[in-house]
Amino acid sequence: MKKKNKFLDILKIASIETLIFFLIMVFFRIESTWILLATLALIGGTLLYTRIYKKQTESIKALFASNRSTVLIVLVLLLLLYPIVSPIIIPQSTYWTLILIQTGIYIMVALGLNIQLGSTGMMNLASAAFYGVGAYTAGMLALKLNWPALITIPVAGIAAALVSLVLFLPVYKTKGHYLALVTLAFGYMLALAADNIEFIGGPQGLKNIPSINLFGYDFLSKVGNFHFYTNYYYFVLALVILTIIISHRFFNSWIGLTLSYIRDDEPAAKGCGVNSNRWKLLSLTTGCFFMGVAGAIYALMIGFISPPNFQFAQSLLIVSIVIIGGMDNILGVIVGAIILVIIPEKFRVITQYRVMLYGILIVVVLLSRPRGLIPFGARKYEASVLGARNGKEGPDGNK
Amino acid sequence: METNKKKIFYTKDIEMRFGGLYALSEINIDIFEDELLGMIGPNGSGKTTFFNVITGFYKPTSGSFYLMGEKLTGKEPFEIAKKGISRTYQISRLCLDLTVLDNILIGTHLKQSTGYFTTLFNKKKLMKEVDEYKEKAIHLLKIFNPAIIERLYEPVGGLPQIDRRRVEVSRAMIAAPKIILLDEPSAGMSPDETEVFMDDIRKIRAEMTNVTIMIIEHDMSVISSVSERVVALNFGKKIAEGTYKEVFNNKEVRKAYLGEEYNHE
Repeated sequence: MKKKNKFLDILKIASIETLIFFLIMVFFRIESTWILLATLALIGGTLLYTRIYKKQTESIKALFASNRSTVLIVLVLLLLLYPIVSPIIIPQSTYWTLILIQTGIYIMVALGLNIQLGSTGMMNLASAAFYGVGAYTAGMLALKLNWPALITIPVAGIAAALVSLVLFLPVYKTKGHYLALVTLAFGYMLALAADNIEFIGGPQGLKNIPSINLFGYDFLSKVGNFHFYTNYYYFVLALVILTIIISHRFFNSWIGLTLSYIRDDEPAAKGCGVNSNRWKLLSLTTGCFFMGVAGAIYALMIGFISPPNFQFAQSLLIVSIVIIGGMDNILGVIVGAIILVIIPEKFRVITQYRVMLYGILIVVVLLSRPRGLIPFGARKYEASVLGARNGKEGPDGNK
Repeated sequence: METNKKKIFYTKDIEMRFGGLYALSEINIDIFEDELLGMIGPNGSGKTTFFNVITGFYKPTSGSFYLMGEKLTGKEPFEIAKKGISRTYQISRLCLDLTVLDNILIGTHLKQSTGYFTTLFNKKKLMKEVDEYKEKAIHLLKIFNPAIIERLYEPVGGLPQIDRRRVEVSRAMIAAPKIILLDEPSAGMSPDETEVFMDDIRKIRAEMTNVTIMIIEHDMSVISSVSERVVALNFGKKIAEGTYKEVFNNKEVRKAYLGEEYNHE
């Protein structure tokens, strides 16, 4: 009997996720303004439904919460199938695959910022600049020295971390608005440097950066009938999953606890023996490492980078992802990235109003959920992304 | 004054000056092992400043203090915590949005494996520590109020004031320090709650042997019922020291609190 119920649960979850999967592809496909508005109405209607039919919503939420491994496995399967299924449904599927890859890359940058801003409470308005350091490092190493991707990507991350260390060392003890201003300056500094240093391309940037070549397999080659972007899709998917697992481990560990305490009450943390200065530096450099890695992948994939890619506007987008999505919450950051990267792309259809609608979206979200769409939840010290530890007791501590 | 107890902490002429204001001057206070020392004094007499100095939050303008013979003056708060001094704060410093468990477990920071390697690759070790310290936290909460344990994963901000105090004290206790400093722990409590809290203090004493507790209090019923020794401050200077009775009857102390001569029954 229990097995049957479990099977039904799995079926329910799989069907709900598959349904959403197809709806998203339909959403990608739509070009006409009116049907687009209808889709938005559908989303609005769903939100209203959750408000009115609280009981059903709660039961669905509970279903997903208690079967987390199923949810994640189905999700990963759907994501793996996407490049194969999407060309059937979406005529412009290559474009959307590229957008999804870009979203994945931004998720990595945002998870890096999340460590600094979400977990430790340190504002960093220069995330695009550190992303750029990673991009330029990988670009230069690949272009001039022909280093393989497996080396340039981690080196790019380390470069971004080192640059952040050098920049933050004199100023990381500042707080709040002052730190924000200082990082704002860093962003401009680095962007200006990229614009003016001829050695790394100046205003023209770097072009013809060699693509990834993994153990002889060239990422520019087509996958059967599919566009070469498919290679990058799976590569980025794997790395995003890895980044999520690392972030999850950080959150559900002494590291996450210590950073949160520094964020919420630094003097109390110090009183408990926390060397907050050291931890803040650690948080900054680690976050920038993530950003650098993401930048490297971007450079290798697009093959062409230039200063306009790494301006304050992009930094602001990353900050918005973390703040709107949910600070110190991995799922929140992912949702934030999806909303803030994919929706504006879709709104290209209504190009004139794109920026305005984008702005309205941000205002609406912040008014209704000031702590972000998915604020951080209780730290349960979970051992794995797949959910609570098996065989361990619940919160009442009875076992 | 019994002196078979070992002196584990002492200050030497601590002076804390803020511009022209001497918040503390000529402070010489000894703390002995396994005692409960009370500190009293009118508002502004420098009690919390004293705590802030000996925990490193303020650096004294002159003077020094020693724990187990080691000079701690000039050290940062986290270094002093490492040497074995924990504290609570006059206005509770808890992270209200974090869970009850989080707020206690941060007390074990110095014993935690916080390295990247362990966190990313040695899950087993990390989880073992989590379980071990969680047991400790639950054990402490059982002493004070088992009801809190049901709310272990709820934000601590949802707990009533007295339970929050208990969480803060548990955070200080779980670090197994040599000295626990309690700064007006009964502030904001009703008389009933204060009664319960005095019981809490006795339970702490029973639970943690060989730990010294120093407690700043305004509520004389607490001081009189739990302190073995009392030290009194006024205007930044130590004006009396001894048993509660001795200090309470000291002329200087009475003058500080009550103004002029006052015949107390």
